Amino acid sequence: MIIVVGGGPAGMAAALSAAQANSKVMVVEAGPRLGGQYWRHSSVEHLDQDGAKLVSAVMSHPNIEFLFNARIWRADYRDGESTLHVLIFGKSRELTTKKLILATGAFDRTLPFPGWDIPGVMTPGAAQSLLKGSGIVAGKRIVIAGTGPFLLPVSVGLAKAGAQIAGLYEANSRNRWFPHALTVMRNAPKLRLALSFQRELKRYQLRFRGGYAVVEALKGDEGLLEAVRVAKVDKEFGIMANSEFVIKCDVLAVGWGFTADLSLAGNLGVEFKKDSDGSISVVVDQFQETSLTGVFAAGELTGIGGAELAQVEGEIAGLTAAGNVNRPKRLHRLKKRKATFARALSAAYPVGNKWMEWLRESTIICRCEEVSLSEVEKSISNLGATDARSAKLLTRAGMGLCQGRICGRSFADIVESRTGNVANDESSIKFAARPIASPITFEELAGS
Amino acid sequence: MDSSDVIIIGAGMIGANCALRLIQSGLSVTVIDRGAISGGTTSAGEGNILVSDKDPGPELSLALRSREAWFELADEVGGEFELEKKGGLIVAKSEQGISDLKVQSARQSQSGVIVHQLDHAELHEIEPHLSNEIPYGVYYPQDSQLNPMLGVAQILKKFRELGGKVVTEAKVLSISTDAMSVTGVVTSKGEFSSRNIVNATGTWAGEIAEMAGSHLPIAPRRGFILVTAPTPSVVRHKVYDADYVANVASGSADLQTSAVIEGTRSGTILIGSSRERVGYSTTFDVRILRKLSEQALALFPALRKVQIMRAYFGFRPYAPDHLPVIGEDARVKGLWHATGHEGAGIGLAPATAEIIAAQITGKDCLMDVSPFSPARFAHDL
Repeated sequence: MIIVVGGGPAGMAAALSAAQANSKVMVVEAGPRLGGQYWRHSSVEHLDQDGAKLVSAVMSHPNIEFLFNARIWRADYRDGESTLHVLIFGKSRELTTKKLILATGAFDRTLPFPGWDIPGVMTPGAAQSLLKGSGIVAGKRIVIAGTGPFLLPVSVGLAKAGAQIAGLYEANSRNRWFPHALTVMRNAPKLRLALSFQRELKRYQLRFRGGYAVVEALKGDEGLLEAVRVAKVDKEFGIMANSEFVIKCDVLAVGWGFTADLSLAGNLGVEFKKDSDGSISVVVDQFQETSLTGVFAAGELTGIGGAELAQVEGEIAGLTAAGNVNRPKRLHRLKKRKATFARALSAAYPVGNKWMEWLRESTIICRCEEVSLSEVEKSISNLGATDARSAKLLTRAGMGLCQGRICGRSFADIVESRTGNVANDESSIKFAARPIASPITFEELAGS
Repeated sequence: MDSSDVIIIGAGMIGANCALRLIQSGLSVTVIDRGAISGGTTSAGEGNILVSDKDPGPELSLALRSREAWFELADEVGGEFELEKKGGLIVAKSEQGISDLKVQSARQSQSGVIVHQLDHAELHEIEPHLSNEIPYGVYYPQDSQLNPMLGVAQILKKFRELGGKVVTEAKVLSISTDAMSVTGVVTSKGEFSSRNIVNATGTWAGEIAEMAGSHLPIAPRRGFILVTAPTPSVVRHKVYDADYVANVASGSADLQTSAVIEGTRSGTILIGSSRERVGYSTTFDVRILRKLSEQALALFPALRKVQIMRAYFGFRPYAPDHLPVIGEDARVKGLWHATGHEGAGIGLAPATAEIIAAQITGKDCLMDVSPFSPARFAHDL
């Protein structure tokens, strides 16, 4: 049986194509239903046409079975077989397969800034999850900020649900798009989507401002978010003089693109690569197979590329895992085009290094362990840390409950900027490793 | 060329301690490490300073002196490294276990270890969440703990203030010798000359010995540690089962586990310890984690719903006879070994450094150091 981990766009496409090629498939999903972050929903009628179609095709296929609410806390690879340690109903079970497709997706990338630990500050993904998954509108007056195309659907979704959007700030200026205009034009569906968002923005009177960033969150008397400080920023995200102003809001949704969820891939020991923008992803061949025979990866963990590319990759992975050697050329052409678009997109929404200038000595960098910027700096100047790992060991940054998922990359960037010691790919990859992919209680572990 | 009286290879706990003692003896000292400071075994343990797990003999004498030295060092160095008189608690449940523990602690007591035998009531008074089914324990107030990364950082900070030099990211490529005496090292960051080299490279000490034309039978033994999410104080001391002592002394290659449980200042609880000989393998079997958590629950049922948020492992350097290797190489003059401490290196570091400093400067040692001599492996050559 082929096991697919993750029920988002890539995982669903993989499961369906493998099932259609007559393989038996099991989808292991951490949430209660299919869809992933992209098509998160509480009931199918809230999904768009593509999403609804895919979800129902996967759900109704006789070759596919499902394990929902199943958290994988550890994965191992030995002698050509992958073993997943799955927590389900408080018990750890082992699933073993010779064909594994990882489609574990990505989570919002965050950057630390003054006040980011105030209640009311969240990621766009979290605001979106609340809305789509539970029908909860995160706040009354919401500011959306950061960078990337994801900010638009989140804004429109929240506005539709009745929230007042107090501001929509994209840190990269709009003319970043010009060099890539041709690529965008070639991607007609994306272009249509972009235009439809433009119409929606107009309809809800949302004013999109490019080249602006939220550089501080401000606390009210109750200890909750009361306002944010916005500034015009240059290409590197440096604050431009005399450009700051304050906007009142009760929720700030701020995100800086996405970080691939590589925990399980790391457990298995597949080969990773570090891209030019510093992000880490899984190395796959043209058939989506990783460095380990029988382990495939599709979607965001092979490089952030969006839902459409994820589905194409999923389809290829599913067909390959099912042993279908006559893969249609169409898929590879499609993958190439979507990948080119994804590269253009990420080039249009880079994260400038000068966000570090927004920080103060007291700004918390690691929220789990409450490590401030000055403690990070002291570990270097005073205690002799020379790289991210030694600074982490001396400050405990990244050693808390989230295991550095939130702060790890920003922390490493800060240490690099202070030591001038640029980490090689191997140490960056090692720095992101986590032997336990997800927390587990003693009871669950012992009883397994 | 960079020249100093002593070069120390390895900026872990042993290397840092040797560096400080040697510079305080009036020598010029350079510490070289292939990575950052405290990047090897030092950063992958629990920071134990234990006397409770040692049988009477040379290692216990070393441990007793070393524990004292740690508290002297804390005053001397000044900087905070979370040194704490935590106290150890060995517990036993079976009749055999209880009688063995009684014998063991009585022998330790004769060698200068402070022990308090505790009955059921006393035991549960000092460790309230301990399983009610455990009737007997021995309390070792001398057992202590520190944060090893901070320890190394603070000691090396003091060392630099005294004029010492720390060179990180410098991999040793070869060791230069002349007529079986060391003359220096060649690293990825250039050459360093010295008549004395201290080999404080832990599990990698055999490779350094070989580079110098000698031999040292040091091998890695892997140990796991589980870390919980921050938890209100459930565990007050370092608590472990009497079986642990038997495992420490074992030479078996097979997996052995016995829970060693302790709370830390940061609120997490650490659960060791497993021992297995698997080379430098980083792949592992979840059975190790399962056994550790079962054993932890047998001692502290209150941990049931506590979350384990991470696990890490380290490679402990051990010699075939399980004794540290401290002293000058039997073949190569000027090559000083300070390794083989297995899981006890943090605790034994200051006394090890005292021996190394005394030997290099030609002074008398306060204890009999012959059991630690590298010469005991000379017949292997």
